[in-house]
Amino acid sequence: MNDPVLTLENYLAVGAILFVLGTIGFLARRNLIIMFLSAEMMLQGVAINLVAFARYRGNLQGQAFTLFIITVAACEAGIALALILMLYRKRKSLDVSLWQDLREAGQEPTLDEEPLELPPLESPLPTLTPSGLEPQQPRETSHV
Amino acid sequence: MSDLSSILWLIPALPLAAAILITFLGPWLRERSHWLCILAALASCALSVVVLVDIAHDNPVIHTYYTWFKVATVDVGFTLRADALTAFMLVTVTFISSLIAIYASGYMHGDPGYARFFAEVSLFIFFMTGLVMADNFLLLYTFWEGVGLCSYLLIGFWFQKPAAAAAARKAFLVTRLGDIGLLIGILLIWVGFHADGDVTKSLFALDYQTVFEQARLQNNPGLLFVVCMFLFCGAVGKSAQFPLHVWLPDAMEGPTPVSALIHAATMVTAGVYLVARCTPLFVLAPEAQLVVACIGGFTALLAALIALTQNDLKRVLAYSTISQLGYMFLALGSATRTNIDLPDALVTVAVVAAMFHLFTHAFFKALLFLAAGSVMHSMGNVIDMRRFGGLRYALRTTHWTFLCGAGALAGVPLLAGFWSKDDILSATFGASRAGHPHSGIYLILLIVGLLTAGLTAFYTFRAYFMTFWGELRTPHEAGEHVHDSPWVMLVPLMILSVGALFAGYVNAEPLLPGWLAEYLERAPSLQPLAEHGEVLTAASRALVMSTSIALALGGVGLAWFLYVLRPGYSARIAAAVPRLYQLSLNKFYIDELYDFFIVQPLVGLAIFARIFDLNVVDGLVDLVGQIPRFLGILFRPIQNGLTQFYALAMALGLAVFLIALVWRLAW
Repeated sequence: MNDPVLTLENYLAVGAILFVLGTIGFLARRNLIIMFLSAEMMLQGVAINLVAFARYRGNLQGQAFTLFIITVAACEAGIALALILMLYRKRKSLDVSLWQDLREAGQEPTLDEEPLELPPLESPLPTLTPSGLEPQQPRETSHV
Repeated sequence: MSDLSSILWLIPALPLAAAILITFLGPWLRERSHWLCILAALASCALSVVVLVDIAHDNPVIHTYYTWFKVATVDVGFTLRADALTAFMLVTVTFISSLIAIYASGYMHGDPGYARFFAEVSLFIFFMTGLVMADNFLLLYTFWEGVGLCSYLLIGFWFQKPAAAAAARKAFLVTRLGDIGLLIGILLIWVGFHADGDVTKSLFALDYQTVFEQARLQNNPGLLFVVCMFLFCGAVGKSAQFPLHVWLPDAMEGPTPVSALIHAATMVTAGVYLVARCTPLFVLAPEAQLVVACIGGFTALLAALIALTQNDLKRVLAYSTISQLGYMFLALGSATRTNIDLPDALVTVAVVAAMFHLFTHAFFKALLFLAAGSVMHSMGNVIDMRRFGGLRYALRTTHWTFLCGAGALAGVPLLAGFWSKDDILSATFGASRAGHPHSGIYLILLIVGLLTAGLTAFYTFRAYFMTFWGELRTPHEAGEHVHDSPWVMLVPLMILSVGALFAGYVNAEPLLPGWLAEYLERAPSLQPLAEHGEVLTAASRALVMSTSIALALGGVGLAWFLYVLRPGYSARIAAAVPRLYQLSLNKFYIDELYDFFIVQPLVGLAIFARIFDLNVVDGLVDLVGQIPRFLGILFRPIQNGLTQFYALAMALGLAVFLIALVWRLAW
């Protein structure tokens, strides 16, 4: 251990840690964006594995794969964020457990035993006493 | 020869072509459809006459147009034959068909199913001519079923009427019982009369010539009796003999031209034709002939007794048809031989008598039905004789033609029916002479035949007097001005009444030479069975003739007395013997007996089967269906819609898979 050379195992260990952390994050968190980030983390764990093996074997195949993974992940990120945005607009929440509609017919929905308190809704108007004309509200013309 | 075989196929083909054309062009042809049908029928009739004349000089023409099927040792061709018997039947069928098609073009005028009617009639003519011309039993059976189908379609022509639909179904089912017998008979012929007696050897076409030859060579009385009985079973169904006669009176629900064509003149005589054609088989089984004669005689008497009290004009005629067909079978059953190995003149005389009666009956019965149809047409579709009367001035032409038909049916001397009925009675008398098998029973049948002749004369003229004599009464359906039918209907009536008056002279034996007998004797199936010679002496023939004249005139006179001179008497007689009257009026309760003993148990069975199906069979099927449902209940909770639960399941599954993989690699 006096010659601290980074061996293949070190890289693999980092990759595995990233992957497992991502998995745990994906399984344990209910925020859609956090889950999405966890999934990205799993992808990066895999990518590190591939790069490490490419270096170890001395060829470029693993790096090519990794480039593909990054590209695909970028595309996926775009789509996933758009989907998350749409879901948020429907329910005004990022909680994934609100989307249980695909369960088998006749099943009871799974509910939290201790539901989190929702943050109070912000008033659309400023708290200051208004005077004069009501300011123009930002009005969306399109959801896209 | 070859030119005859080249026109032979046209006789059935032309009506078939007409049927197909009318079917496809029907929506466009509409009220012009009858032209195709009439033209095809007339052309077939002309060709049939050519065949009739040509065959007189020649041997029979048998021509195979193509091989229908060839399985193992059975080789059945689409083979048509033309011999004396065929040619005679062809002319009868096509001539009557043409006249009835012309009549129907007036009668069916304005019916929404006009085109369909003529398509079905053309199809019927195709099947009927094919049936007559077929040269082997299987082809015969095919056409036999075909005429049954047309009969069903035409009885149920007004299928919106529940009674017509029920009558069509009844006719189809009852004749089917007979048809099954015919089929079994044909199969027995195949097994029993195969050349060399072995079904695995040599080709067998089931043609008449070979079958008759083999039957004669093998001479197996037991098998012959069984075969003949099964063939006769088919004839009983199609020709409405007891016990399968119940469909024919109900078949009167069809249009009247159909009753005249199919249920009086042509199709119902197919059974008579079959037995006549198979005479070489029947003469080898005298017991079978006895059964044929007994069934025929019994049916003739039974139907005549029922006809005495019916009030529906068409039903009287229907029962009279059954009775006359019974007569024909009585004649066919009388074609016995004193010695089974020797030819006998009686065979020819009896078969000729049956065919002769078939011929004259086709004329006068078609005439009577068409005249009844004309009455019905004028009376606004009312056919109950109690509701009209005295029509002889209102429907002048119909009256005269009906009178011709009634006279011929009653056997008034010198009219058509007289000669043929006399021939039949002579044949039965011939069979009752000493030396013939079962001569005693034939003597009883002769008496039955004579009695029936008297009854026939009575009920025919009862219907005539009730319809045309007395005071003029018309039902309100007829409207104010009762007028005779249009010319297109009256002309066929006139032609047929000429036939009813003079058709008998083709075989008016003592008066004129027996042309028909001479002609039919040439039929190859009859030739080896007969020798020339007189069956009856002039004295015994005169005895039969005078008795039948006396009975016929007596019957007519009695009808005159009861329904014209003393109109109240018939009711008093009916009141005097209420039991007998009710028995006859209710057709001896045969329909009710069948209903109770056959129909109701079968209905009960059907109800039971339905309950069994709904509860037991469906229950089992549902039980099998419950198993996946039950398994589904077990697994349903894992589909809870939580994304993370699915992800966890996936991760755990992958983990288990990987551990297994590593485990296997490690060991």
